[in-house]
Amino acid sequence: MLALLAQEVDFVRPAIDWHAVAPELTLLAFGALVTVMDIVWLERGRRLTSSVASIALLVTMIPIVTLALDGEDRVMFGGAFVVDNYALVMKAMFLVAGYVVVLLSTNYVAEGDYWESEYYGLLLSSILGMVLMASARDLITVFVALELLSIPAYMLATWRKRDLKSNEAGLKYYLMGVFASAIMLYGMSLLYGGAGSTLLADINEAVSVDGSPSAIVVVGVIFVIIGFAFKVSAFPFHTWAPDTYEGAPTPVTAFLSVASKAAGFVALLNLLFVGFFGRDDVYEPLIWILAAASMTVGNLVALRQTNLVRMLAYSGVAQAGYMLAPLAVASDVGDAALTATVTYLLVYAAMNLGAFAIVLAVARKTRSAEIDSFKGLFGYAPGLTIAMSVFLFSLAGIPPLGGWWAKFRVMEAVIEAESASGVVLGVFVAVNSVIALYYYARIGLGMWAEDAPNGDTTPIRVPASLVSALAITAALTIAFGVYPPLVSEFDVTLLAGGLGG
Amino acid sequence: MSDFLRSYLTVGIFGLIGVALVGVFLGLGKILRPNKPTLAKTEAYESGVEPTGDMWSQANIRYYVFALLFVMFDVEAVFIFPWATRLEAYGTFGLIEMAIFIFILLLGLLYAWRKGVLKWA
Amino acid sequence: MSSLLAASSADVPFPILSALVVTPFLGALLMLVLPNGRPEYFKQVAFLVSGAVAGMTAWVMVEFDKHTADEFQFVDSAEWIAGLGISWTLGLDGISLWLVVLTAALFPLTILAIEAEHTPKAYYAWLLLLEAGVMGVFLALDLFAFFVFFEIVLVPMYFLIGQWGHGARAYAATKFFVYTMFGSAFMLVGILATAFLTAAETGNAVSFDLVYLAEEQALATTTARWIFLSFAVAFAVKVPLFPVHTWLPDAHTNAPTAGSVILAGVMLKLGTYGLLRFGIYLFPEASVYFAPALVALGTIGIIYGAIAATMQKDLKRLVAYSSVAHLGFIVIGTFALNTEGLSGGLLQMVNHGISTGALFLLVGWIYDRRHTRLIAELGGLQKPAPVFAAVFMVVMLSSVGLPGLNGFVGEFLALLGAFAAHRWWAIVAATGVVIAALYLLWAYQRVFHGPAEGDNAEMKDLTWSEGAIMVPFLAAIFVMGLYPAPVLERMEPAVDALIEHIEGNVEDFDEADADQGEDLDVDDLKDLGKKKDSKATDESALVEGGAG
Repeated sequence: MLALLAQEVDFVRPAIDWHAVAPELTLLAFGALVTVMDIVWLERGRRLTSSVASIALLVTMIPIVTLALDGEDRVMFGGAFVVDNYALVMKAMFLVAGYVVVLLSTNYVAEGDYWESEYYGLLLSSILGMVLMASARDLITVFVALELLSIPAYMLATWRKRDLKSNEAGLKYYLMGVFASAIMLYGMSLLYGGAGSTLLADINEAVSVDGSPSAIVVVGVIFVIIGFAFKVSAFPFHTWAPDTYEGAPTPVTAFLSVASKAAGFVALLNLLFVGFFGRDDVYEPLIWILAAASMTVGNLVALRQTNLVRMLAYSGVAQAGYMLAPLAVASDVGDAALTATVTYLLVYAAMNLGAFAIVLAVARKTRSAEIDSFKGLFGYAPGLTIAMSVFLFSLAGIPPLGGWWAKFRVMEAVIEAESASGVVLGVFVAVNSVIALYYYARIGLGMWAEDAPNGDTTPIRVPASLVSALAITAALTIAFGVYPPLVSEFDVTLLAGGLGG
Repeated sequence: MSDFLRSYLTVGIFGLIGVALVGVFLGLGKILRPNKPTLAKTEAYESGVEPTGDMWSQANIRYYVFALLFVMFDVEAVFIFPWATRLEAYGTFGLIEMAIFIFILLLGLLYAWRKGVLKWA
Repeated sequence: MSSLLAASSADVPFPILSALVVTPFLGALLMLVLPNGRPEYFKQVAFLVSGAVAGMTAWVMVEFDKHTADEFQFVDSAEWIAGLGISWTLGLDGISLWLVVLTAALFPLTILAIEAEHTPKAYYAWLLLLEAGVMGVFLALDLFAFFVFFEIVLVPMYFLIGQWGHGARAYAATKFFVYTMFGSAFMLVGILATAFLTAAETGNAVSFDLVYLAEEQALATTTARWIFLSFAVAFAVKVPLFPVHTWLPDAHTNAPTAGSVILAGVMLKLGTYGLLRFGIYLFPEASVYFAPALVALGTIGIIYGAIAATMQKDLKRLVAYSSVAHLGFIVIGTFALNTEGLSGGLLQMVNHGISTGALFLLVGWIYDRRHTRLIAELGGLQKPAPVFAAVFMVVMLSSVGLPGLNGFVGEFLALLGAFAAHRWWAIVAATGVVIAALYLLWAYQRVFHGPAEGDNAEMKDLTWSEGAIMVPFLAAIFVMGLYPAPVLERMEPAVDALIEHIEGNVEDFDEADADQGEDLDVDDLKDLGKKKDSKATDESALVEGGAG
């Protein structure tokens, strides 16, 4: 032991491609800046922090764009950190989603009882974790990124600290998240034990050896996937989602339901396509069951919800099922499955953030997220009603909106597999779309056709930041559907770059 | 049975023996010792002071903050000691890296200080 | 991609078909930005937009080359999603021409005829969006585009029923939406399977082009049958065929008048048109295989719809059930898979749109005046409203299928075709004609004859403007009844091409032709219209056909 310590190994400084890590460093610097502002000015600084946060996210887009224009795949730290087109697309999505969340938060936080600078600092560090996750191709990097994005999110969920529901939200999210992390970490340690490396590419080589699957690999893969199933709130690991979504401040809920879920999927994609790809006999049946169960249960339970946020939580479970579906045939269709899930993530981010933006806008007047409080919205807020209809019907998968194209890609992937299991999953998606339509359309009809409760038709004053958020999300939702090459073009570059390893 | 599982079998047997040993000794003690309970014997031992009030008393929340700060700097030490033994090999690069690390920690400490965490009042 | 597509697109300088789809869509957007302060503009703008569409359609109808009616004309194609072989391809042949004309005519008339009860802005916006969607369905030559339009159509109709309907409108709207969505969910699986399996079989790139897929016929027989079923489910719900018809009476009863007119007039045809274009054309073998089943369902629909209609107490529900019966005729004609049947089915699609559309309008006007549609509460309307009664009579007789009026030609041809192909089913179906006469005449008698009491005596007669709206309907009823040749001669080449397509792709398919392989002569049909006795003609024709 001592001999080992005394052994002198020449230290080689790892080569650092500063351009490749520029997005992470920029975010880190701005996160530190928010803290420094807080240290220097205390509460006097809080007026500026939301602007600083939005500037941070926009500035971080610059290196993303230059990296994309450069087009070169960059690999660092022996393959633990990879910047390819897939990573860039996902990073850009996290930044835009984060930007929209900042827009949603600006008035909400400033007008609430807990107007603190930390909110944006935590938000930025969570986004930093997500941006890092997109590049993570190593178990440790994946885990560090996961914790970096989760821990601030736990705190954000319980932001309204004197509100019991918010406490419940944060606590449930925290306990379930930690539990999931523990399971995942156990799975990772088994995989490391089996493969002798934490690099996903090495793990793939080690686990893909032909022959009967060894117990260690099976258990490792299953545990890691289950850990992320919590993160993406797939049935039966979704139980935290409705309570957390309902209790957390609405902008945070939007953040959790979109960015955090997407980060879970990004990690899952990295793991499946780089780490476990050769072991489809293990992960495909598992994902198949998760996907089918998530969409069915999520949709059926969503039917009975009376609170819009809870309904969106359960519909989010169902949507996670749709996003998982292509992964259940990943070995047959390869890139098509990856593209389908990535497309769905992008579109889902736009439409779901939009739906939450509407919830926020309407709640400014009604102070409620009950579905009944949306009745008669058309009478006093026609613009919001039209936007909400766009988001709801997009979520339901009605053409020509983005959600339709996303669902089309998913169906395409499962059918392209030309296997019985793929077609059955396709039928699951089809039938579930119909179930989902029922509750989405019901809200739509209520907004258009019914009378406002109590006959209260004073108009809603929507602040500029919310209007911008709505404009961004609605434009993207419609554009993705009307002209799908917008997301399909990403597909092409995605395929060209592929998942580095 | 694979080699891998066989090695876990060893762990399992080891664990079983451990549990059995504890059980045997405690059981033996239970059988052999005289049993004369008095009120004083059944009380929970608490720093020699007689316990008052409910067992579920709340600790002051400030302890929690101090504990957190302690853990933070404790972990810092875990990083810094090994680094120190290899400083020569790392050279300037290592020095800068550690400076950044300590700077970020320092920021945290400053933050805690500014927010009044270090005051007990 | 195909010689069919290249055929006649060269002489179209302007993408007229895209304009037919895009104009109402832009109109709907325009409606949203119109100021709320001047509600009277909404109707005028909506009418102008749909009128412009009708004008363009009239131009298309005139320019349509009847000698190449079997080819897609005015083809308008642009790349949409290149990576998956999805294109924006619109085209028009003898099959879709008349449905497009029907759509273009029905919308402005409906907009003119019925005042929005409330929130006119949204009402006319939805109507225009609906027109864009329906146009798209009839014109799309790309499976992806077709599906997109097929789905788009649902949303405006859902809101029209849900927001401007009566009674259990939310229930009816949701039932309509969920039923049709259920069908189309299966169709989506079918569409994707068609495209990808064809690509896999042929080794070509994936394409959603209808003509390419239909000409390629690359799928294995069993696979094609399964996929045909997935399409058939979607269209059967839309038609609607027994036993998935139950949404229709609810939707019609609770829909606003405009919704009923459009629903009956054009939207039900989306299903029968789909069966024709995407069922038979894409899967000829499977169509032949499943034809008996579909004819059986159609016949059950005829009898069931007729019996159910007889027992209705609500005039509108009666008309709704009569639609189930009429659509049954279209289906049995179509799946007779011979020239007579297909032409008859196609003609009946147009006829049903005219007659039932007009009938729903008239029922809507009765409701506006009397605020009830219950047959028992109406009576003797003939006395205070003689013109109304006369118009109602003509429209109703056209729906019954009186010779000389439009309904007769289509129904007769459909039955003729069905008789040649599936004799016994046709005979059963023919009794549906009798029952139709029974329930419609009986309803007429109860509503218009007898003494007019109470409010019924005060019933206002048809106004001049309402009369003006009925003129095009009546003209169509008479013209198509007496001289259907211009319509038929534009359909026939397309229908013959479809049958050739079946013959070319299905081994030992024998067209069960009513007059021994001789194609139906247009001149015969001119005479057909002039024969007077409906039942006698029916029977004699059936016997003649049967003798062959």
